[in-house]
Amino acid sequence: MPHPFKVHRTAEGDVSVLHLEGFLDAHTAPAFEQAIQAELDASRSRIVVDGEKLTYISSAGLGVFMGFIEQIREQGGDLKICGLTPKVRQIFEILGFQAIYDMVDSVPDAVQRFVTSPTREA
Amino acid sequence: MAHVSVSRLESLLESAQLLHASLDLDNLLKHLLRTVMGRLLVTRAVIAIDAGDGPRVAMSRGVAEATLGQPFDEARATALGLRHHLPIGVPAVGLLATASPARPTVDEEERAFLEALLGIAATGISNANAHAQATRLNRDLDRKIQELRTLMELGRAFSRVNEVEEVARIFGLTVAGQWMVTRYAITVCRDGLGTVSRQQGVKLPPLATYQEAMHRLPDAALVADLEDSELRALFEAHKLCAVFSLRSGEQVCGFAALGPRPGGQSYTPADLELGAGMAAQAVVAFDNCWYFREVLDKKQYEKELAVAASIQQGLFPAALPSLSGFDVAAMNRPAQQVGGDYYDVLTLTDGDDEACLFCVADVSGKGLAASLLMSTIQATLRALLGREASLAELACRANELLFATTPGSKYATAALVLAHPHTGECRYVSGGHTESLLLRADGQRVWLGATGVPLGLFPGMVWEEVALTLREGDVLVLYSDGVSEAQTESFDEFGSERLADIVERERHRPATAITTALLDAIDEFVEGAPQFDDITLMVIKRI
Repeated sequence: MPHPFKVHRTAEGDVSVLHLEGFLDAHTAPAFEQAIQAELDASRSRIVVDGEKLTYISSAGLGVFMGFIEQIREQGGDLKICGLTPKVRQIFEILGFQAIYDMVDSVPDAVQRFVTSPTREA
Repeated sequence: MAHVSVSRLESLLESAQLLHASLDLDNLLKHLLRTVMGRLLVTRAVIAIDAGDGPRVAMSRGVAEATLGQPFDEARATALGLRHHLPIGVPAVGLLATASPARPTVDEEERAFLEALLGIAATGISNANAHAQATRLNRDLDRKIQELRTLMELGRAFSRVNEVEEVARIFGLTVAGQWMVTRYAITVCRDGLGTVSRQQGVKLPPLATYQEAMHRLPDAALVADLEDSELRALFEAHKLCAVFSLRSGEQVCGFAALGPRPGGQSYTPADLELGAGMAAQAVVAFDNCWYFREVLDKKQYEKELAVAASIQQGLFPAALPSLSGFDVAAMNRPAQQVGGDYYDVLTLTDGDDEACLFCVADVSGKGLAASLLMSTIQATLRALLGREASLAELACRANELLFATTPGSKYATAALVLAHPHTGECRYVSGGHTESLLLRADGQRVWLGATGVPLGLFPGMVWEEVALTLREGDVLVLYSDGVSEAQTESFDEFGSERLADIVERERHRPATAITTALLDAIDEFVEGAPQFDDITLMVIKRI
């Protein structure tokens, strides 16, 4: 039985941190979409996605990242990814996500990355 | 190998350690170049590695003209001043080309050193190449596993949804994640069930403008390779690079078109193959959803039909009024769940005399539309009864109301009898209805035909009234054409004379028994053939 998916938000200054937990696939993707949409609706476009407790991600789950990144960057923000387990990180890397997303080890690293690279061009 | 001094041996040992310590080809070649250029005092050198199709430039220093990955051309290298070509290893895995050494003399021992160094490097290069190949194969394998997982995920996700929009959403998210695209369009349509389109970062024109061309889409293709210039121009105008048709059977019912991949990556043949597989799964899911929706719609329709049938049954009189001097019975059996026939017996006071209206009507068409018109007729007759001076005027007024409230193609035939039970005097009007039977007590058969056109068909029409008197023993039978036109499998009709024969035979029995006998006779006659039209019978017997 897949681990149920959850997303909860914390903040580090003006950076929103979305902590993902469990199994992100086609059926759980809407919860993640809503969480990102809520950030954009509140004009918060500096987003860190913390995947430390993410146990699995499917292509449909990865599709959520692609669905928002242009809008986020148009608003002058970015979406940084951190804390992925090796198994999950491998899925990101196989598909080449490291080419257009900053992927770092921890939330503090990701928050710091906003200082050095506020918006990364795709 | 010629004699090599201790210091050179130490250097060789150090290089061997370095060259074998790393499986990184780049580092290895850099070290080799550094060492050779340092020892020979050359400022220009190129290493070319043979990957099976001849040596290609793998690293260069001081030679801007040498492009990485290009085939190594000896003549061109010589022209660039790289005159010395040394094979790397035996057999050679590549070669090292250098400019002439600035070092005054390269002795035998130095040559032996270089030869040994290149031999060691050859082993390192082979190891690094094998490692790189294994890494590449592993990466390819990982990617294939990921693709397989995606296909399985997709199948599992599709199996849990029953909305077309949800299938499109999952399909869109998956292609976006798989190829890292931010632009895509998924469109699918089904006759009678509409079009569903999910578009991200792109807004295509309405499907109707290119639906015809859509049928010429191949299963999977790069947009640049599309033969159909209309579709190619359309997709290119919206910066879509790859397209997959959604093919249900032989018919293209939609497509998925994807925007560019990041970093200028193109869609490989393997990508097109994967996309076609995903599209095939999506089509099955779309088909299932459409089918599910059809079943639901059908169930909903049947449910509504059942409600309509129960409402319609409520429109028929639960019990006929008791009329002194008359024995009346009536029945209706619809051909479908809801029917278009109607009968009623309404009582009213006509001056000092009690009167009643017998009515049998047959609405054009069948099903729900006919049943709606039937209820309109009932409401109209009930509302008008007693307000018009004559039966003919009642027909006129009903006609005007029905004409005003129904489409031109809808009408009803009706036989109306206004009777006075105490005297047996009747007025008869027929709006295009099947002729009614008046069987006199002496056996005479009187057929009462139409006295005007059907009700609701044309405005401003008039109807004649026929006066008749029902005497003791007379039987008047009003019926719909479902009775006289009841058919066997071989299209033999029951007919009005057969009806009259049965009425004559049963005339001494109560009206209910005559009705039942008629219905039994019809059933016996058709021998189980399906009933095509509603059957309505009303038997009025003067007692």
